[in-house]
Amino acid sequence: MADEDDVMMKKIAQELRKPVPVSTSFDARVMRAVRELPRHARRRLWSRLNAPRTITVQPLGWGLLAASVALFALLGAMHASADINRVAKASANFFPKTKATTPDQRVQFVLVAPDAKKVSVVGDFNGWDAQHIEYQAQHRGGGVWSVTAQVPVGHHRYSFVVDDSLWVADPTAPRVVDNDFGVANSTMVVQEQK
Amino acid sequence: MSVVARALVALMLAAPAAVAQDARLVARLDKPTLDAVTAIVDSARAAKLPTAPLVDRALEGSAKGSDGRKIISAVKQLSVRMGSARRALGATATADEIKAAAGALDAGISANDLARLRAASGKRPVTTPLDVLTDLVGRAVPVDAATNVVVQLAKSGVKDPEFALFQRNVRADIDRGADPTVAATTRARGLVQRAGTGTKPSK
Repeated sequence: MADEDDVMMKKIAQELRKPVPVSTSFDARVMRAVRELPRHARRRLWSRLNAPRTITVQPLGWGLLAASVALFALLGAMHASADINRVAKASANFFPKTKATTPDQRVQFVLVAPDAKKVSVVGDFNGWDAQHIEYQAQHRGGGVWSVTAQVPVGHHRYSFVVDDSLWVADPTAPRVVDNDFGVANSTMVVQEQK
Repeated sequence: MSVVARALVALMLAAPAAVAQDARLVARLDKPTLDAVTAIVDSARAAKLPTAPLVDRALEGSAKGSDGRKIISAVKQLSVRMGSARRALGATATADEIKAAAGALDAGISANDLARLRAASGKRPVTTPLDVLTDLVGRAVPVDAATNVVVQLAKSGVKDPEFALFQRNVRADIDRGADPTVAATTRARGLVQRAGTGTKPSK
């Protein structure tokens, strides 16, 4: 009985081992179905970044790229120091080479504003920033506000800002009309102390 | 397009913008205003005009609460005025002189009058005389009278501190009710006479 069972099992196994005839388009259909399965975007990007690639190195192309990167860095550095260079070059024409760049000068700004709660100085020397800490005037009593601050040598436009809202030209300095923004400014020329 | 070619194109496109934009402008202006102001600043740089006054002008407009359209217009106008100022003052004009002359043009003083003042001043800087001239016009001295007064002072060799004192005296006279033209011409006459005799003006 057992022998008959063994023979039967072998016959079944033989039948199962026979290759099944498959249509020639089966592979293509399977692959298409796999590709259509949703995949996580980050995983896809990670796979792309991780996938090994063959890179062809062309000396001319990579040389140009390296030169461009260097030029880019140089232009950035030149721009950052353009104004400094201009001042330095101008100074070099007028002063001996041993002389350092002209230092900022201390300038006192005074405004009489008895009703003010806050007075600050704005101008092209502080980016017209009314909150600039170094240009906040102190109340000295009797309605007199003043601040002494560093200002670069040269021609400047400036104004007082009272209570963060009212722009007031310096009554003691030359005024310059402002047809664009409607509020007159003051001007001053800061000269190097000798 | 190869990787290298793509990288080169990206660098070429990015470089000019990265080089030209000022960090303070980026912080304070909206994108369309920033782009327009940057373009004007780049043009001025190419024309070898000072660019700092243009950046300052945009910052000033922003601080005064002006909208982008006004800021762009103001920066453009200043750029045009600085070009005119340099032509009037000559190629050797300093950035300070160009800046002061642009303010004078804005006040209504002509390019011809700037050239007159330049000629009258010789090699002396005209920054302070230009500021005084602009101030006089702003205090209702007619342009012709103010220009004649300041040109006369420059011809007489009046120096910057004397110009500053002259401006303060005229302002004080006007504040006390004097006619602006009379105040300016009277104070100038005294200064010219003193300059002729070599005496120092009294405060």
